[in-house]
Amino acid sequence: MSRSSTVRNVAWLWFIATVAVLIVGFRQAIFLVPTEETMGNLQRIFYYHLPHAILGLIFPYVNVAASLAFLYWRRRDPLKALTADALAAASAEVTVLFVSIGLFSGMLWAKPAWGIWWAWDARLTTFLLLWLLYVSYLLVRRFSPAGQTGTLSAVLSVFAAIDVPIVYMSIQWWRTQHPAPVFGPNGGGVDARLLPAVFWNLAGWAMWGIFVMLFRFALERRRQLAEQEAALQAIEASLETPQ
Amino acid sequence: MNWHTFFDFSTMASRHLVAVYTGVWLIQGSYLAWVAWNWRNTKGSPR
Repeated sequence: MSRSSTVRNVAWLWFIATVAVLIVGFRQAIFLVPTEETMGNLQRIFYYHLPHAILGLIFPYVNVAASLAFLYWRRRDPLKALTADALAAASAEVTVLFVSIGLFSGMLWAKPAWGIWWAWDARLTTFLLLWLLYVSYLLVRRFSPAGQTGTLSAVLSVFAAIDVPIVYMSIQWWRTQHPAPVFGPNGGGVDARLLPAVFWNLAGWAMWGIFVMLFRFALERRRQLAEQEAALQAIEASLETPQ
Repeated sequence: MNWHTFFDFSTMASRHLVAVYTGVWLIQGSYLAWVAWNWRNTKGSPR
């Protein structure tokens, strides 16, 4: 069996397992875990909001690691640098995807729970800033001059990643509108009966996030190789042209 | 909760719950479909 067909089979198996875990997660969140006493069924938004918010803070670290690898390799080994750049592009897009859903699900939860769509509190503001930074990153990738895209976006990525620990710590440093943390050493905790819905959905969306990021990475590599091939053909054609 | 109460749109809370669950699947599914479409329409290198 060739390497590409093995990768394709593993990808399909991963995707099928991911969808199965997400179906279990949905069933747990909507039908199986008991209704929370204070907020009622509205609290079930938490089982989708939490995984997207957590993963929206993890994918930026993949992006900054790939960007630092790009900066290290860009003169030493340009082919490895190109691979790192593809991973940086893929992880930035997935970051925007997850942070967007974190914001959108949070706002839909906030309106019935707080009576307002948005509050300029520390967590919400720093999370919105994170979204803006990664949207800027994608715009830089899209519109910067060819040849400088990798370096410009890698430097921006390092600055954008600084916001991630600030978002994480914001609800501990400043007590404003957003609820206090539920997990971690200072967390308020979750009723043990609700935990299956939390963990199944966290696992499912993490598997989904890894899948879409690697698929997007493979697409970016395919694009890079197609561009290299086109450039090579252009060089070959120019050499064949009689002078 | 069951399917009937899940799709009960009588309160804002229940409407927003459905909006979040359907919206998340729609956004994630659309992104995956966009990547898959581009994958199919980007030629792999023959070398």
